[in-house]
Amino acid sequence: MTALTVNGEERASRSGPMTPLLDVLREEFFLTGAKAVCREGFCGACTVHLDGEPVASCLVPLGAAAGREVRTVEALAAGGLSRLQQAMEDHDAVQCGMCFPGMLMTLTDFLRHTPAPTRAEVKAALAGNICRCTGYERIVDAALDAARSA
Amino acid sequence: MPDPAAATMDLPRRDARDKLQGRTRYTVDRGGAGTLQAVLLRAEVASARILRLDTAKARSMPGVRAIVTAEDAPGRHGIGIADHPLFATGCVRYDGEPLAAVAAETLEQAEAAAAAIAVELEPLPAVIEMAQALTPDAPLVHPDWRDYEVLLAGAARAGNVAWEATVVRGDVDAAFARADVTIVDSVFRVGRQNHLSFEPRAVVASYEDGRFHIETSTQVPWSVRATTAKLLGIAPSQVRVTVPAVGGGFGLKFDCALEPFAALLARASGRPVKLVNSRREEMLTCLCRENAEIRIRSAVTAEGEIVGREAVVLMDCGAYGGEQIFLTTMTAHTLGGNYRLGAVRLASRAVYTNTAPNGAFRACNGVYNTFALERHTDEICAAIGMDRLAFRRRNVLGDGDLGATGQVFEGDVLGPMLDKMVALRAEKPSRAPRAEGRLHGRASVVGTWFVFVGPSAATVNLNPDGSATLVTSGVEIGSGSMVQALPQIVAAELGLKPEDVVVRTADTDAAGYDVGVGGGRTTVSLGAASTAACVEVRRKMLKVAADMLETAPEDLVLAKGRVEIVGIPGSGVTIAEIAARAQSLTGPISGSGAFTGPGVAAMPGCAAGHFIEALDIPVFAVHDCEVAVDPDTGHVEVLAYTVVQDVGRALNRRAIAGQIQGGVVQGLGYALHEEMSIGPDGRILQSGLETYRVPLAEDVVPVEIHLHEGAPSIGPLGVKGAGEVPILNVGAAIACAVADATGRRVQELPLTPPRVLALLREREGPLELAHIAKDWREKVLG
Ligand code: FES
Ligand code: FES
Repeated sequence: MTALTVNGEERASRSGPMTPLLDVLREEFFLTGAKAVCREGFCGACTVHLDGEPVASCLVPLGAAAGREVRTVEALAAGGLSRLQQAMEDHDAVQCGMCFPGMLMTLTDFLRHTPAPTRAEVKAALAGNICRCTGYERIVDAALDAARSA
Repeated sequence: MPDPAAATMDLPRRDARDKLQGRTRYTVDRGGAGTLQAVLLRAEVASARILRLDTAKARSMPGVRAIVTAEDAPGRHGIGIADHPLFATGCVRYDGEPLAAVAAETLEQAEAAAAAIAVELEPLPAVIEMAQALTPDAPLVHPDWRDYEVLLAGAARAGNVAWEATVVRGDVDAAFARADVTIVDSVFRVGRQNHLSFEPRAVVASYEDGRFHIETSTQVPWSVRATTAKLLGIAPSQVRVTVPAVGGGFGLKFDCALEPFAALLARASGRPVKLVNSRREEMLTCLCRENAEIRIRSAVTAEGEIVGREAVVLMDCGAYGGEQIFLTTMTAHTLGGNYRLGAVRLASRAVYTNTAPNGAFRACNGVYNTFALERHTDEICAAIGMDRLAFRRRNVLGDGDLGATGQVFEGDVLGPMLDKMVALRAEKPSRAPRAEGRLHGRASVVGTWFVFVGPSAATVNLNPDGSATLVTSGVEIGSGSMVQALPQIVAAELGLKPEDVVVRTADTDAAGYDVGVGGGRTTVSLGAASTAACVEVRRKMLKVAADMLETAPEDLVLAKGRVEIVGIPGSGVTIAEIAARAQSLTGPISGSGAFTGPGVAAMPGCAAGHFIEALDIPVFAVHDCEVAVDPDTGHVEVLAYTVVQDVGRALNRRAIAGQIQGGVVQGLGYALHEEMSIGPDGRILQSGLETYRVPLAEDVVPVEIHLHEGAPSIGPLGVKGAGEVPILNVGAAIACAVADATGRRVQELPLTPPRVLALLREREGPLELAHIAKDWREKVLG
């Protein structure tokens, strides 16, 4: 059994230590927010926070997450949408929605470190997050708005 | 008739909150306890005879619950021709073709069992490129093509030519023989484009009480129902299809895909079965936008009149006909579109090769034909020394003009849209200074697409709490039609708030037939059927209200959840009261509605082998872009991008703008760096996102968007679908701008840096396409 903290709760996984964290979250804990899109670290749809840092959970073996703290998109809205989530809704940014769990985890971390970003900085922060539907600009607008209203 | 203004608003998406919290359960997130996991065993060669397929050992492996093969699904399906079996039957025709399907308790067990299936294949010669497939002694991908069931008569077929659609209008030979014309001859080539929808094709199937329940990520629930039934040899009514939120489609999911495999396994095992394509499988077998080769020739006078035009388009359908058979139809309306033509003849051929089958992708055949047509148009302008915008303004189709198939176009749409673009260009300074030493280029291009109408059904139930439930076979694939346009339309029709309209997603047991979500048809066809259903509901509501208020139905209006006597606000009753009263007196109020395309006429005898001879709802677009081309690296940067799009009426401007931004960016990927290539062994070389380069945030610019309203449309409230067309002109705009910047003849997409450098340094001669003969008669069958 591997012990880890998931969204503030102590959990134990019976999966093998080489199982991708993404699969443990999705298949064992039924946290299906993070998405398996490429499984190669290119798309960012599986992004979660590991000890506060965004990681591609498809590339993290469960063993490497042992004893550490995992936070997923399901925990982002505490008592209401986060400012960033709210900005995404206000900007009508969502389309199919598959990329957003990862986008939000990346941007939440980015805005914490870069509270007043430029447009170019937001775009650079999204270098590891692909969206196939929206053409990005609204996601960027929403992130800038969330930063301004912080 | 309600005021269209009541339907026009920026309604937010009701699915956004769950999607933003990771709560939405797509098909890939489904399949509860007890669900088996399935995999496909796929062939790893492009062409081979199947000598042996032995599943005995695999069947006895741990956790294995069912294995099915070609013996379990003898039928063939297809569009136009039934050429496609579920499993490779007798021979393998492409690398990746399914040989067997396995269901087991875990994915690892299913994979282990699939690997243990004994397969013996004898390699056969393969045809990988269309030029090769069209040589007289080429091996045939389908030696038995003559024996296949033909589902639509009238097309010429022969050997590796799966389908040929032609248009002949007027005397083209005479036009080309005129002494006063310049003849311009152009050839173009494009590669494949992968949809890369974030949710792969995925299905969960179960078999209960003698019927199948298929939960699937599809755009076409009724096609899944019909094709699954056909392949399994059962009645379509034995199949129920439901569709959760779909994680992107773009046309990929406009065809039955994994569903019959999962259904067979569910029946064989007696357990629910989940089957999901891996990303690699999606890359290697995705029903891509097809690679195509185009020759187009025109006879043009010095004044710029196009007196004759002829063209041949070769479309690679891969190993099976699929959507390409249907899409041969579109050449008449895309490559033959935009401009007034004297005489015209066009041939569009779907060609079999031993490669993965292609399919439908947003504005399908139109994207590359618009690229070819607009580049050809610029080559004409160069040849006769005419300004590119002036030539277009002179020749674009206007009110009363004839299209390629002789259809009479209604309204002046493209002309005023071009004028608008010219005005926009004049308003803003050129971005040329931002090119900073690189080559600056600019182009404005036009495009013609259509809304794919066709049958739709809708039911509206009025509930005693004053809400309404809309039941259709519509699917939310991300475009927002189901969560924005449809509730807006129903709410306006019934005087409700859109929040009070519940929209049921597709369940073929609950709703009537629908063609599917694609071709920009949801708002138009489902919207029209919903409107018709609302008319019946409204009539019944007003009758009950008239009795309650002791007045005539004509004196009543519906608004804000109430029925009021005209001119006396506060006089009436709430819709909830009417619904409750009706329920107790006569039973609940409901209405049903239907819609289909009226069928605009073409000129008789012009078109052969066509599924659509004329466009019920043409849609037009004008795009302008500025680029900077780096002469040292060949990199193309998009400096600015502007769209003027014909939308009929914009019901939700914000949602439409989101579709335009997203569609243009997908087009930029196609135009600049999304490249699929096929190795000499017939395998697609890009197996993931490392090698297949889609646009990232830093690659794109905000698109400046102008909606053109008021063009004629039979859609409800005059709407036209807006989600399909934004990608149409992008390849054309980029290619023409790069040609403008470099002064070179752009004949191919995508314009990757190596390709642009080769152009700049004139490393290769011009593209020739010798296999498309200059004499039209030598390159058509019929
Ligand atoms: S699934 Fe992990 S980066 Fe794509
Ligand atoms: S919204 Fe579909 S991938 Fe981003």
